[in-house]
Amino acid sequence: MFSFTRFFAVALACLFAGVVSAAQPTLVVYTYDSFTSEWGPGPQVEAAFEKSCNCDLQLLGLEDGVSILNRLRLEGDASKADVLLGIDTNLTAEARATGLFAEHGLRMNSSALPESWQDDLFLPYDYGYFAFVYNRERLPDPPLSLRQLVEAGDGPTLLIQDPRTSTPGLGLLLWMKNVFGDDAATAWAQLAPRIVTVSKGWSEAYGLFLDGEADMVLSYSTSPAYHMIAEQDRRFAAARFSEGHYQQIEVAGMLKSSKQKPLAREFLQFMLGSEFQRIIPTTNWMYPAALPATELPPEFSDLIDPSPALLFDDQQVARERRGWIDEWLEAVTR
Amino acid sequence: MIRGPVSAYPVLALLALVTLAPLAGLLGGGRLETADLAFWNSAYVWRALRFSLWQATLSTALSLAPAILVARALAHAGDFTGRAFVLRLFAVPLVVPAVVAVMGVVGVYGSQGWLPLGRSLYGLNGILLAHVFFNLPLAVRLLLPLWQSIPAHHWQLGEQLGFDVRQRWRHLEWPALREGLPGVALLVFMLCLTSFAVVLTLGGGPRSTTLEVAIYQSLRFDFDPPRAVILALLQLGLCVLVALATLRWQRLPEVEIDTAPILAGQHRRSRAALPLIMIAALFVALPLAALTLDALRGPALEMLGRPRLWRAAGISLAIGFCAAFVATLAGWLLLRTSADLARRGRAERAGWIETGASVVYVVPPLVLGTGYFVLLSPYVSPFDWVLPLVIGVNALMGLPFVIRCLGPALRQHQARHEWLCQSLGLRGWARWRWIDWPVLRRAFGLSAAMVCVLAMGDLGVIALFGSSDSTTLPLLLYQQLGAYRTDEAAVSAGLLLLLCLALFWLIERVIGGRDA
Amino acid sequence: MLEIDSLAFRYATSTTPSMSFSLTVEAGELVCLIGPSGAGKSTLLHLLAGFLQPGAGRIRVDGSPIELLPVAERPITIVFQQHNLFPHLDLYANVALGIAPSLSLDSDQRDAVDAAFARVDLDGLQRRKPGEVSGGQRQRAALARALVRARPVLLLDEAFGALGPAQRRELILLVKTLVTERRMAALMVSHQPRDARIAAERTAFVLDGRIAAIDSTGALLDTPELPAVRDYLGEL
Repeated sequence: MFSFTRFFAVALACLFAGVVSAAQPTLVVYTYDSFTSEWGPGPQVEAAFEKSCNCDLQLLGLEDGVSILNRLRLEGDASKADVLLGIDTNLTAEARATGLFAEHGLRMNSSALPESWQDDLFLPYDYGYFAFVYNRERLPDPPLSLRQLVEAGDGPTLLIQDPRTSTPGLGLLLWMKNVFGDDAATAWAQLAPRIVTVSKGWSEAYGLFLDGEADMVLSYSTSPAYHMIAEQDRRFAAARFSEGHYQQIEVAGMLKSSKQKPLAREFLQFMLGSEFQRIIPTTNWMYPAALPATELPPEFSDLIDPSPALLFDDQQVARERRGWIDEWLEAVTR
Repeated sequence: MIRGPVSAYPVLALLALVTLAPLAGLLGGGRLETADLAFWNSAYVWRALRFSLWQATLSTALSLAPAILVARALAHAGDFTGRAFVLRLFAVPLVVPAVVAVMGVVGVYGSQGWLPLGRSLYGLNGILLAHVFFNLPLAVRLLLPLWQSIPAHHWQLGEQLGFDVRQRWRHLEWPALREGLPGVALLVFMLCLTSFAVVLTLGGGPRSTTLEVAIYQSLRFDFDPPRAVILALLQLGLCVLVALATLRWQRLPEVEIDTAPILAGQHRRSRAALPLIMIAALFVALPLAALTLDALRGPALEMLGRPRLWRAAGISLAIGFCAAFVATLAGWLLLRTSADLARRGRAERAGWIETGASVVYVVPPLVLGTGYFVLLSPYVSPFDWVLPLVIGVNALMGLPFVIRCLGPALRQHQARHEWLCQSLGLRGWARWRWIDWPVLRRAFGLSAAMVCVLAMGDLGVIALFGSSDSTTLPLLLYQQLGAYRTDEAAVSAGLLLLLCLALFWLIERVIGGRDA
Repeated sequence: MLEIDSLAFRYATSTTPSMSFSLTVEAGELVCLIGPSGAGKSTLLHLLAGFLQPGAGRIRVDGSPIELLPVAERPITIVFQQHNLFPHLDLYANVALGIAPSLSLDSDQRDAVDAAFARVDLDGLQRRKPGEVSGGQRQRAALARALVRARPVLLLDEAFGALGPAQRRELILLVKTLVTERRMAALMVSHQPRDARIAAERTAFVLDGRIAAIDSTGALLDTPELPAVRDYLGEL
């Protein structure tokens, strides 16, 4: 009884202890928690920016990009955030529609993106391509195109994510739509028998893949770089598809309601600088948006060339997403 | 004058408030147009509804039937070596976050596992397997006390009358079981109904779509809070209907004051008992063993030296303890009234109080959390309130477990001692200190341990609110998985399991007393 | 001293007609209640103790009405057949609860508890748990608690029904001595007419929720006027 009381007291003390206040200005950035985790870019970015800004950079990690945008929609003008970092091009149209973002007034001088970037509200910090990752020892002859993957009745088994709950899942949906157009539903129906399972998020599917549950998993073209660099394991590769790969561009933007606009702009400028950009490849495992290819880690040159980059206009995605998801549901449950 | 404790009504009112206020907040926050309402009878929602019900019903049946056999075997096997361990083992699946459980199940039944099922794992089979893994042990723990509540005199009577196994079941065990089984069934049903990551991941595809997925979807990519609330209310209504059905089926025993104290091990040992327990223990232990082996293969020693891991473990523990405290206290207040009503022959109203406190479980934490956000953000910064909110929501989610653990014990205690306490004028602190606490501490210990472990494994609310300095162990684990660190995630999962086992032992000891 | 005046009660769920009891017990007197099962003997005791609420009627102790008092404040102690003691507390604590529910006793109170143990012949068993003593000893401890509570009315609800004849006799005689000493008014429900002969001056026969007959124990048991009493006693 008394020990229980003590436990509780200690627990409470742990919980509510110490809120640090500082005299410096604070810049609040909403991002996703794999950005802020100890393996993500967060800790290094925070240290580097605070060295020069004479400020306190607070990175608050939410579940993922969708959560960041939803949080902003809930908070509206009253948001504590100065900058949002981590929404992708599938969400920018809706983010724009909130009317909460301020023009950044900056220019991208050294874009590494395959397309030119012109956006008054959002600036990209990294990008990547969706791809099917496989184990070379298990699958010596991966399909060479998305069409081949779909049409080979006895082709490799797949693990994918659900477009209703995950970003890569939505990415594949758009990729299929981009390649097959109006025939996407038929293609999905053809693919369905070889889909082992459709998981809630990337982590579940990738975990199942590493457990050997299927031949290929929907992931990023840069995923093998992790295994090469962190694990010195060269068995994993992404399959290059001749139609090209659907692209994901992750962006940041500053808010109208921010009381620290100059500081927020300084952060966005810093984000495009080489110090920030060099942190990205081996922490976020994506291509930095403003770093010449020559400055990437050497292992990145062993990755597939995913060109051409496929990307729908963000307005179109916002308009059609619901209908496309219904079409997908219909096709794979048939 | 007999004055029953009235504490249930304020607590129930508070419960309704903390559940419905965030829903109302979400409804009010969004623009609700009549066109939006058409969706609820769309084919999509109905399919999700049908599948939710179907898989939850099957999962419940498949968890409960063996659980009854195993609990019976445990009751009949007497005191064998390892009994305490088996019982603690059965508490562990509660703590396992869904994503980890899936890994454990795949480790055993996956194509590279020990008992490969191949592709047939994905689909209804996989869902059921994982749900039975979660719920069979839980049901055993909750059903076992029902056997222990059968008075020794009844067993002796059965022996004297020459009951065979079937008659013993019919006249002694089933009547005792009937009191608790509907409640346990409802709890398991709710757990399966709201299961989400397991259903999607092992379900093989969107054919296995539950209502919970639809709710999640409408609150995320669609960002349509009113729709999410309506779906959540649909789920709540569904559960109330199921609760009504179980309540009708439930028979609270006639209160019999003259029962002799329980004497364990009075009846003959059954020969089939031990093998059956072994099989069940193996079924629960295998996925856990697969996870443990993964943890040992990972960089365990290196990770154990990292302060971040221990910090996360500390925060998880703090959340667990606080949620356990709040849920146990609220549950106790509710149960005092319901036990009092049951003692006075108003079993129906007693049942309603307990059911009301249980069904709030099915309002998804995502909906509750977002609702609280809408309600609180005009006044305070929710970031500063992450931990109280997480504790509050987890306590709410833990309440049905408290009701199931503490309820029967409290009812029996009231039936035996209420009048004596009244006639001696025992009340307030003295009654609590000398009577209620010593008699009920075991049940309190079990309830607190369950809620604590459940809250420790929670992933629902903490990730939603997000905050860099309140990373819990499951969240850390999820971050590791999200950053390709599968080996490190395995270590975190191992630590989570170990903490849970240790915690169960500790709480049952500290609160439950030496002989727990 | 204990006056029961048209005390009415009806079980909500039962089809039996409503009960109505009238009875007076003097200080120092032990009255035995006999009668068939379901006649209302225990119901009467539970009404007196306050576990049940009467529909109408009066209960007076020393002239003041008590039917509106909470259970614990009534000048009454009741002893049940079972579960009089809390199994997790030792006999001493179980008796001490009768003086101070907080279990913090001053030295006078501790002396009173010890005296009660001596009075019921349990000296030396203070530290035993209820499970470690005999059924007779458990009921003695319950009587010791009744002593330290020192309430003017004592109710025995088949308190000795589970004991053997010799032990029962011993305990009833003990009760009789205590009742006389402390000038208590005592009501004892029993299934055994023989119990009445041991110590009760008067015996009441309860039938269908009424005191159907009351007389000196000898007269009621040996020369019953009422046919129902003859049927109940059988052997006569």
